[in-house]
Amino acid sequence: MSNRVNHQEIVKRLLDAKVVDFSAIGKTFAEIGPSLALADEPWEGWCGTMRGFIRILVVNPGLPGVENLGALRGATGELQK
Amino acid sequence: MTWMTKKRSSVVTEPEWNQQDLEWRLCHALDIAKQVVERLALNGYIDSADPGNNLRPEKLISETALLLFAASSAASHDTVKARIKTLAQMLIPHARSERMLLGVCLQPALAWDYAQAHVFLSRLGYQDAAFDQLLQQSADSQAKDGCERVPYRMLEQEWVRSNWNPSASRSRKLTRTSASNSVLNRSMDLLNGSREDIYAFTHALVYVTDFNVQPRRLPRSRSVILAEAEAALARCLEEQDYDLGGEVLLAWPLTCKSWSAAAAFGFRVLAGVEDKAGFLPAPNTRLQRLSELQGDDRTKYLLATAYHTAYVMGLLSAAALQPERTPPAQIPTSGAIDGSANKILAFFDAGAHRAHWLDELYKLKDAERDAVAGLLLTIVLRLNIKRREFGIVRKLLEVGYSMGLANSPVSSQAAEMLERLSIYTQVARARRSENQEEPGGAPPPSVALGPEARQN
Repeated sequence: MSNRVNHQEIVKRLLDAKVVDFSAIGKTFAEIGPSLALADEPWEGWCGTMRGFIRILVVNPGLPGVENLGALRGATGELQK
Repeated sequence: MTWMTKKRSSVVTEPEWNQQDLEWRLCHALDIAKQVVERLALNGYIDSADPGNNLRPEKLISETALLLFAASSAASHDTVKARIKTLAQMLIPHARSERMLLGVCLQPALAWDYAQAHVFLSRLGYQDAAFDQLLQQSADSQAKDGCERVPYRMLEQEWVRSNWNPSASRSRKLTRTSASNSVLNRSMDLLNGSREDIYAFTHALVYVTDFNVQPRRLPRSRSVILAEAEAALARCLEEQDYDLGGEVLLAWPLTCKSWSAAAAFGFRVLAGVEDKAGFLPAPNTRLQRLSELQGDDRTKYLLATAYHTAYVMGLLSAAALQPERTPPAQIPTSGAIDGSANKILAFFDAGAHRAHWLDELYKLKDAERDAVAGLLLTIVLRLNIKRREFGIVRKLLEVGYSMGLANSPVSSQAAEMLERLSIYTQVARARRSENQEEPGGAPPPSVALGPEARQN
């Protein structure tokens, strides 16, 4: 149970340090996107599957827990008998 | 209905499972279904803020028909019978709408998907010869099989078709080829498998057993399948995934006349959650979002995010209402080993997470708690494998083995994993040595072993 890393903390520190310039990434995408969209390369190339483009992945964070049961009962009159 | 009033009161802590209770739960699901058909059957639901909640009308129409079909096995109860009649009549125009007819007409490979609600309504006595005529044409067309499907989806197609013309189906004693190819006929990956794998398992089981109307032979022995169902149940309880957990619990009433201690406990957890929330909730119903919406928008959001889990509780209650399929009022304690639950729980670190199953566990008598020690072992094994605390996993297996609890698919898969890790460690060490001998050689990535393992 020990020796765990707090991923949220690491991500926050990286964001606070402005390690990633999201504006610059967006600008670059906007500039090269149209030509890449018409290129002969497969669509997967754009996602970086075969080439080293920047990869933006939305990783499934998993299911959140269900809400507080008592609060659900209080807020969901339509489903109560 | 004095009892029902008591049951839903917070004063009563030990709900009793009887026919009235199950009937109430099934009727509750049917009442929710009525609202779902009224509000969502025409256009489905579009959630601009969270597309994951989008719902196609065909899906909920088919699922409502499935709930009706399952509920029909409990139609001897007048309250259920009346609701089936009302709901079926509400569903018919949607199940046989022009949209559905066009789907059957233009996409023969998807004809049984579009026709599913029609088929089950027909099975309940609400027939439509014109729809049947078009369906027959589509089912006989060249393109009828022009869609690649995984085995459990193939089973679904066969199941719907056999319900369309049940008298023409071949011997029910035969095991379907699709069932033999499905997850029902092979060991699931119980430690790293996906939610979709369990989904395939639960659905295949429903299709093979036909809600006990005309069940077919299972491709593997029932005891092996139920042992895997227990492992899947442990995962669902721990993750508070009651949608899938309810489907997993169907494995008991759909395959046998007895509920294991773990299954009885699982049912108890779900019923307790339903009693507290007023319906069996899913994680995608968010209170914050509810508070931001009003009127029809709010009701539609609530129904779209909550209906499926509510339906699952209805399916489970319907199956449990069948003769000799009712879950026991108390956890069966035969075979319980004194003190076994506490020995397993000594390895359990709940952290900040307070699971509903844990609340329910602490309400049990000692012997009942010991009766579900095997389920606890599965939960704690999975948690520690997820955390890569392999040293604890080894100790857990030793403790489980010493108490005769390790004879389960999860324990044997965990033991296999430790064996593989042992080989991995040897390979990694050898490579590390080789790399260190080479100037500038980088060490290989190492598996994150927990502190317990590092000590050993």
